[in-house]
Parts: sequence; structure tokens; C-alpha cells
Amino acid sequence: MNKLLNRSLLYYLVLSTVVLALSGPCFYWLIEKLYLDDVDEAILLHKDEFFKKSLPGLKLSDVPQWNRFNRDIQIYEGKKVTDKPKDKIIREIFFDDMAPEYEPYHVLYKPVTIQGKSFTLMVRLNLVESEDLMVTLTWLYVGFLFLLLLANFYVTRLISNRLWQPFYDTLEKIEKFNIEQQNVPQFTKSVIEEFKKLNQAISKLISDNVKAFRIQKEFTENASHELQTPLAVFQSKLDMLLQEPELNQNQAAILLSLYEAASRLSRMNKNLLLLAKIENNQYSILEPVDISGVVNEVIPYFKEQSISRNLQISTNITNMSVLNASRPLVEILVNNLILNAISHNRLNGRIDIQGTIEELSISNTSDQTALNADHLFKRFSKFSKSTSSSGLGLSLIQQICNYHHWQVKYFYKNDMHSFTIIF
Amino acid sequence: MKILIVEDEIELASSIASYLQAEKYVCETATSFREAYDKIGLFYYDCILLDIMLPDGDGIKLLEELKKEKKQDGVIIISAKDSLEDKIAGLKIGADDYLAKPFHLSELGARIYSLIRRKQFDNSNQIKINEIIIDLPSKMLTIHDNPVELTKTEFDLLLFLIGNKNRVISKAAVAEHLSGDMANTMDNFDFVYSHIKNLKRKLTEAGSEDYIKTIYGTGYKFQL
Repeated sequence: MNKLLNRSLLYYLVLSTVVLALSGPCFYWLIEKLYLDDVDEAILLHKDEFFKKSLPGLKLSDVPQWNRFNRDIQIYEGKKVTDKPKDKIIREIFFDDMAPEYEPYHVLYKPVTIQGKSFTLMVRLNLVESEDLMVTLTWLYVGFLFLLLLANFYVTRLISNRLWQPFYDTLEKIEKFNIEQQNVPQFTKSVIEEFKKLNQAISKLISDNVKAFRIQKEFTENASHELQTPLAVFQSKLDMLLQEPELNQNQAAILLSLYEAASRLSRMNKNLLLLAKIENNQYSILEPVDISGVVNEVIPYFKEQSISRNLQISTNITNMSVLNASRPLVEILVNNLILNAISHNRLNGRIDIQGTIEELSISNTSDQTALNADHLFKRFSKFSKSTSSSGLGLSLIQQICNYHHWQVKYFYKNDMHSFTIIF
Repeated sequence: MKILIVEDEIELASSIASYLQAEKYVCETATSFREAYDKIGLFYYDCILLDIMLPDGDGIKLLEELKKEKKQDGVIIISAKDSLEDKIAGLKIGADDYLAKPFHLSELGARIYSLIRRKQFDNSNQIKINEIIIDLPSKMLTIHDNPVELTKTEFDLLLFLIGNKNRVISKAAVAEHLSGDMANTMDNFDFVYSHIKNLKRKLTEAGSEDYIKTIYGTGYKFQL
């Protein structure tokens, strides 16, 4: 309902209602005033006519006759109407025996002398019929105005819809745009200056982004590739150094640290490359993968890896589904999850692996308290003192989950850190 | 045993050469496509280490050339590309093995050792080292003619050590070798120690000489 068009129509509607509600009574009031002025003018005219034309020849004996033929110009005997204001047009209700009902009149009383005897002249005009006319007129006015507003409303909507069409078209295309697909949307050409500018600006923004995204991906991949060779040289030189017969214990210890650093470097590099490859869609081959099979396959290896920390690994896997996925990526996912659970664990700790039809959850004990889930999956965000961690494991996990449209969630419950993949 | 190292990174080529020469291999080095092409045409090598990304050509073309000429040289691709597709493509064209950079020289040594044995003995072979006899097809170890039970990991470890005999293998290389595809998920090298210890114990208990030397906890050597 909060659409742009609805919003403008709503304002329009409110305005129209106000105009209608105010102008109807105003119109009625104005018409009535004009009409009453007219009536009063007519009464005065009748009065003047009486004084000019009728009064000079009028005899006392003519008065009853006059009153018989003139319903609206009557001559009363002086004392009969002493309570009425004179020389002033007033509103009065008379019983009309023709209708028959009470009807409103405008009346003028005026003292008059006929052959030395004082009388009161009463000139009146019926307001009923004119009132009907005014009501009809007002309704007509309101009706026309309403029709006009209604027509305006629909025409505005129609025109706006058509006018804003290029905008909605552009909006829809931007919504569908996905930077990983690398295609800049083609906007429909518009003759309207603003939309033209909008489309140009968005096109430029998107193509710049797509370019930056591609350059970044290429950079990661190229950098990782280029690093492999110097790393290989470095490692081979270490291997040669280790062959030296005169190697002493101190030198051997230094070598060991260098080996560890080299391993970390090469693992980090491989993970970066892997991230770039996932982003470049190089794992597009999907096949049915039995997740529980993958987990069970690697458990013995990780049990061996965890001996030095004396960890208890327990698995509880019940009818996990076979999912359409990239097998190498699922293996990397499972490996990284379990590896995390091992490397951030404490001595004599525990790892629980639970698999059900819709999720895989791996929980571990740790010396650390709950982690900040917001930064957890970012590249190179480090949470542990463990120097062997590359800072890429979790972002790799998330990337793989995104790739398969799975969800990964982190919980901290009962002193256990747990990562859950929801398929 | 003649080995051709086709690698444009001279430092890497020289390390490989000196490592392999220690095991009585005769090594030649080619640092460009052209040089490698000429050498392959002229000589026979037991094993060619082929870097497929050369400045003046695609190493894969050399491999295709070899196969076209029906040459029997064993080929191990060493590549900076570590993707399954590259690996499969290389093996399909006829490479015997594929090793992604960076690698440990000992890993390369073990691969060359096993490639050459495979070529020479067609897998129906035994490795004999004094009192130790390893039957490769059946994965059986006998010492003084008595069978010795080894776990799969220990057997792998023994072959790895023997493939690099008389040279020091780093703990890191052992760890990565034993982890195989899982090497990326390795957290530390500590587990190597217990495997080495168990293997040493089993060998000496069966009456073998203690060939496996530890170099200050940094490396291991199968010394004859």
C-alpha cells in the first residue's frame, strides 16, 4: 500500500474530500444568499409598486376586495399587527392552506395610510419552492464535482502508471541483479530526462561494481597462483637445509618453526584460492552427496588428530538425507567444521556431531566464551590464540553454505560452541 | 636412473636436482619449453618432472608430444594449479602423477621412487633392504622372514621413509603425506611422532636394525 502511486493518490483523495465537503455547503450558502437578496429586492419592488401604482387610487371600501385577490400583498388594519417590526424584511412561517402545511416566507410590514386611516401593508414571498431548487442545484454541483474528481483520480492513476513504467522496469531489473552473475542489466530506453539519467547512473554504477568485483576475484586467484612457486622454492630450500649433516639442535628448532610457518602459508594460500574458485563458480558440478557418509569417512582421521588433546568425539547421525551438492565442497565443509571444533577445543574436551534430516550440527567445548556471531564469518577475523588458524576456515564454511543455499548458524549453549548447517 | 627436471624457476629446479642427486639419480634441468623439447627428443629419461606453465609454451604440449612418439618416459606434472580438473586433464593425456606446488622434496622423492619401481617391475615387486622385505602388491612386511603387522598409516610411513632413504624428511612433509587430501585441515604435526614411535618399535621388536633416525624432533631419516 505504501507505493509511490498509492501515496500520491491518497493525498489527492484527501484533498478532493476536503474540497467536496467544504465547497458543497459554501455553494449552498452562496446560492441561498443570492436568492434571498433577490427575494428581498422583489418584496421591495412589490412595495414600491403598491405605493406608486395602487395606493393613490385605493379607497377604504376597496381594502377587503384587495385582500381577496392578493394573497401575498395584504393590507391589515393598524392594530392587528402592532407586534411586528416595521420597515424591515423578516422571516416568518405561515400556514399555507393550499399545500397545506407551514411554509417559510420573507415578509415586509409597512405602515400605510388610506384615506386618513392607518393600516399595515404586508408584502411576502414564499421561500419553499426556491429552497427545493437550491438543494437540487447544490446536489447537481456536488455530483458534477464528484464525477470530475473521480475521473481525475482514474486518469491520474492511469497516467502515473504509464509515466512511472520505466522507473518500475528499472527497479525490477536492479532487484534481479546479482553481482556474481556478472551481467549488467539492459534498461528499457526512456524519453523522459530523469529516467534516462537514472538508468545511465545505475548502469554506470553497476558496471563499475561488476568490474571491481571481477578484478578483485582475478586478483585473489592470480595472487594465490603466483604465490605457489615462491612458496615451493621456500619449502624446497628448507628441505635442503634439513639435509645439512652439521645441523645442530638450535638450528633444527628454527627449521621446525619455519616449516610450520610455511605450512600455514601454503594452507592459507590454498584456502584463498578455494574461496576465489567458489566465487568464480568453478564447482558447478552437482551430484547426490550422502552427507553422513562424508562425515563418517573423515571421523577416524580426526580422531587421530585429536589424540594429542585427548578429545572425545561422539557422533549421533540419524537418517541424514542425500543432497544434490558439490562433493569436494561438502568434504571441505565437513573437514573445516570438525577441524575448527578440534583446534579451538581445550584439553580433555568434547566434540558432538549431530546429523538429522535437515541439519548437521557440530559442537565443541572450549576455553573461550561465546563468540561475536556478527564478525565470525568474515575473512581473517581471528578469535583464538591458536596460531595455526588461517582466519579463513569459517568464511570458507559460509561461502560453501551460500553456494548450496544452506544456512550456517552459530550458537553458544551449555558451555558448548556449536555450528549448525541447515539444509 | 635419469631424471629430467622441466622447471623455469631455477632455484626450485636446483633444489630438486640436488635433493635427487643424493639418491644417485642423474638429473638434468631444462628451464624452457624449447630446451625441454630438444632434450626429450634426444634422450630417454626414467622420469620427467614437468612444470606445465613455462614462459615459452604449454608443458602439456610436451606431454602430448611424448605420447605421440610413444615414448615410455614416466612423467610427473608439477603445477601451481591445484584443481581437480587440471589433475584429471594431465593424467588423461598420460602423466603418471600430478603434484601441486608447493610440495616437499621428500614427497616428490617418494613419488619418483614409486613411479620408477612401477615402471620397472610392473607392480609385482618387492623392496628388499637387508633384513626387511616389503611386498608391494600385497602390502606385506616381513623381517627376517617373519611377517610384521603394520597399520595402513604405518605402512605408508615406512614406504615414504624408504622412498627418501638416506635423506632427512621434515616432520611437516610426513604430516602432509599421511594426511593426503586432508592436509589442508591439518592443525599440527604432533600426530606424526606417535606413528614414527610405533613404527620404530614394531621394526626393532621384529629384530630389524633401528634404521629410523630422528633429527632433533624436526625430521626423520631412514639411514642405511
